Amino acid sequence: MSYAKAILSALLVLALGSMPAWAGLGQPEASVTSDQLHMKSEHRVQDFQAYKVHELANTEGAVVREYVSPEGTVFGVTWQGRSTPDMNQLLGNYTNNFQTATRDQTQIRQRRGITIKTNDFVYTNFCRMGVCSGSAYAPKLVPSNVSTGVMR
Amino acid sequence: MKRQFLSVATAAPFLLGVMCLLSLAGCGGSGSSTVTATTVNNTATLTASSGLNGLSGGIVNGLYITVTVCQHGTATCKQIDNVQVDTGSVGLRLVPAALGSVALTPILVNTSPLEECIQYGDTSYSWGPLEFADVQIAGEKALNIPVQLLGQVTAPPPSATQPTAGGVSCLQSTPNSSLPGTPPGNEDTVATLGSNGILGIAGVIFDCGNATACTTVSFTSGFPYYICPNGTCQAVGVPTADQSVNPVSQFASDNNGVMITLPTVASTGAVTVSGTMNFGIATRTDNALGSATIFALDACGDFPTVTFNGISYTDTNCTNSTGGLGGFLDTGSNALFVSDANTLKTFGISDCASGTAGVGFYCVSGGTATLSNINFIGFGGVGSANISLNINNATTLFSTNNAVFNDLGSDSMPGGNPSTDFWDLGMPFFLGRTVFVGIAGTAVPTGVNAPNGFVAF
Repeated sequence: MSYAKAILSALLVLALGSMPAWAGLGQPEASVTSDQLHMKSEHRVQDFQAYKVHELANTEGAVVREYVSPEGTVFGVTWQGRSTPDMNQLLGNYTNNFQTATRDQTQIRQRRGITIKTNDFVYTNFCRMGVCSGSAYAPKLVPSNVSTGVMR
Repeated sequence: MKRQFLSVATAAPFLLGVMCLLSLAGCGGSGSSTVTATTVNNTATLTASSGLNGLSGGIVNGLYITVTVCQHGTATCKQIDNVQVDTGSVGLRLVPAALGSVALTPILVNTSPLEECIQYGDTSYSWGPLEFADVQIAGEKALNIPVQLLGQVTAPPPSATQPTAGGVSCLQSTPNSSLPGTPPGNEDTVATLGSNGILGIAGVIFDCGNATACTTVSFTSGFPYYICPNGTCQAVGVPTADQSVNPVSQFASDNNGVMITLPTVASTGAVTVSGTMNFGIATRTDNALGSATIFALDACGDFPTVTFNGISYTDTNCTNSTGGLGGFLDTGSNALFVSDANTLKTFGISDCASGTAGVGFYCVSGGTATLSNINFIGFGGVGSANISLNINNATTLFSTNNAVFNDLGSDSMPGGNPSTDFWDLGMPFFLGRTVFVGIAGTAVPTGVNAPNGFVAF
């Protein structure tokens, strides 16, 4: 709860920087700007000791959070909103990991959601009555002193 | 028309229900009765199984019902079995072939057929026209309601890469390529759905949730309604009478929810079991709440708080767009998607390893794990109960030839932080219980304080 409040009270930061071809997971921090433009969203940044969170929120209530390592790489993304966001945009080079996951790596819960777990890529998405929630991360990119549980 | 009809219809069964309580002899259908409106059969048979494609189709814990769909105002009807019962979505959606030669009435907007598009959490989608039909389940009838015919659209659904004017689109994410359907995710046949359709009876009337959100094109991402003249789609707002609707809410009586009763199964499961769905809640003697605990739900239709083992799982997603979803009941979820393997490891629970039959579900060391004293708390504190769930080893369960399990579990969200987790009480929870799912916006039984709808068990 206190974490959520900290996010909400974070300063609105003006986003600067160039726009790379791909944004999202596994990409440099500057790629967040591309996602911001794609989502037509506001952008806030919260600094933690071992990582940074860029939060993008648009007027339709969709929220995307991108988790950035000290080296400046997006190691995880989470999303919440009325629909599942554009994965081609958010998963960057990991889009293919999402698209080509085999049945052995994929657990489908009868349309309601999907979970993919491989060594390089962990993805889950769940929708229920106009509320979707999910996360994706690259385990090998998560800083060793950061729990995957910080992504929410 | 429909809205005016609805407001009358929602009050009537409530009054009849009170009369039944006062005069039991006049209820239940037999004996002398002046309450003729409640004598229709309100009890449908449910079947839990692996569905029409059998175990090789990959479905476990499917729940199915028979519906009769008629051309409006005629006796031209088709009885359709194996329609999946889903308390997590709204509206009746059918594989067109299941209708046989019964033609329904297209809903036209500016002379074009009205199409609906819904993308689900696994990135699959429903895409097809809405047409008016009379729908009968047991003896209850919903007249002239929109029913979706899956497929039957030549234009592709508007997507994030090909939105309609104004940037409005339905499919935000390209469907996962491992999904069934052509193209993948377009599940509009028995072979891909494992059923003849989906009967969505979640606890709201319209599938837009707030129906006024879809009377105009009020949002761009995931908007459901389109017309596609000349193969080019455009988003359209539609009146509530044309929107996909919970058929139960449109019954003349017994329209404030459902009561689902299923038998228990052995810890190793069963091939199939039969149960019942009674329409209406506390509208007559056979759907009385009895001693069930009533839980008010929050604005998102969830239990706002679930506590287990010293951890609180709250629906902060509903209030703050962050964190977990609290808890909810969903026959369309094939397992108990609860907490996460990291949090539950002290109970011997882990995620089944890649390459094992149970991958994607929980495995358990040392036999069945029992999670006790899980406290479900209703909105505003209305309703509180401790429940207990068993979790068995999914790889062991899947080595049987069974398809119905009351102890199949899985992570709610992988990752290991309870703050994003939730308690999705899927089909296993319904086995061995009677569960009531009320419809928000319809008549509430006496004394129930639930502005956003309720469930009871």
